[in-house]
Amino acid sequence: MAKATSGPVDRQRALAGFLAIASGAENVALSRIALLSGGAIQENWAIDAEFEGGQLAGAQRLVLRCDASTGVPSSLGRVEEFAVLQAAFQVGVTVPEALFVCDDPSVLGKPFFVMRRIAGSALGRPITLDPALEAARPALAERLGRELARLQTIRPPRTDLAFLPPDDGPLALIAQFRAYLDRHPNPRPVLEWALRWAETHLPGRRPTVLCHRDFRTGNYLLEGSRLTAILDWEFAGWGDPDEDIGWFCCKGWRFGRLDREAGGIADRVHFYRGYENESGRQLDRERIRFWEVMANLRWAVIALQQSDRFLLGGTRSLSTAITGRRATECELELLLLLDFIGAAAYA
Amino acid sequence: MRDLPRSRDLLALARELLLQELLPLLPRERERDAHLIATTLAMAGREQADDGWQEEIAGALENLYGDRGENLFARFAADLRNGAFETSPSRIAAARAILWRLTIAKLREGNPHFLAANGLRNADGRDE
Repeated sequence: MAKATSGPVDRQRALAGFLAIASGAENVALSRIALLSGGAIQENWAIDAEFEGGQLAGAQRLVLRCDASTGVPSSLGRVEEFAVLQAAFQVGVTVPEALFVCDDPSVLGKPFFVMRRIAGSALGRPITLDPALEAARPALAERLGRELARLQTIRPPRTDLAFLPPDDGPLALIAQFRAYLDRHPNPRPVLEWALRWAETHLPGRRPTVLCHRDFRTGNYLLEGSRLTAILDWEFAGWGDPDEDIGWFCCKGWRFGRLDREAGGIADRVHFYRGYENESGRQLDRERIRFWEVMANLRWAVIALQQSDRFLLGGTRSLSTAITGRRATECELELLLLLDFIGAAAYA
Repeated sequence: MRDLPRSRDLLALARELLLQELLPLLPRERERDAHLIATTLAMAGREQADDGWQEEIAGALENLYGDRGENLFARFAADLRNGAFETSPSRIAAARAILWRLTIAKLREGNPHFLAANGLRNADGRDE
């Protein structure tokens, strides 16, 4: 059995060899390998490479994506994420082209895939706050609505995505969140109350679609005001078509512009228009409210899980530990979404 | 009995030192860490100021349940899960008032800017 390579030089040599075989090149020379910022769950490495022959002959700017040392549950593996990315690319969603995948641990010690490197920045606050983007934001929101509708043309059954678990609907999510709260050391009455509301206000089922499950500001690249890529597909799965809409509009992703309800970039009307025009489906505002409640519940649980890594797992990271406090922001939003009488009294 | 200055005042001074004098000396990639530390210091200062909201919530729970039983907070969460108050308009109204009070009190300490950004600056009639 092949042994995993150990040192950086070994790993570079192994990676170059893998790229050469995968692309049909005679040789691949790596000129730069640098860790990109922003990967708490996955690592993204920028790679500049010169391919001699093969399908990528010439200079190439690539990204290698692999697991970080700590992961959050429910994330797809890299091999599965590669298949999702390919499927999205095929239906015209703006994503980096996924090129090669490797699950052989003898290359880098863990699975990874390689995609084209796309120019742009995904930082949330510049996207929502930079005055230079002011005029472009409504069109950006509309474009993102169209992108989401295009993604939702991917529907089960799909042999290439057969690894995705079936859509069990919101009741299964509610059960998951409650199971988590049962393990959490502090009672969370607001989350319990909102879960009860969700359980008693389930929307009618819609045809299952592929959901990104982290479709939000901060997870797409802009070059100037131009959308260049939608990123971070590790949570993708079968689900309700309004789930990603609720997540995109969730207050947690508005980056300092709470008044712009579509991802901190525009009014909802622009995002909804793009989606409705592309999909031909009129959005039901009550259904979206349900999924926005679910989004806040999910974000609260994720935030608490982050601080659990300090509280229970011993991770000595201030950034990780303090994230749990954000759950209370979600709880306020749940009260604002669900208790109109209380909201009128306090707001 | 404790010595002066009070720790909350020292925390405020530590935060000023960090943001005004140390932050400009840091490389750009560590600025976020400095802001995280500043946020933590501010949070700790506000928690030490303790305006007694936990006792207030405990009192409201005792009123709701009509007893001083142990672990009323956990019981409250479990009852909300089960919809225990839903047949009584007065009890659900009391439960909702507790949820609001609890959430606003936690955000007063944890993130008062978020309260203000949601138009809740004067929630409970108190200024942030």
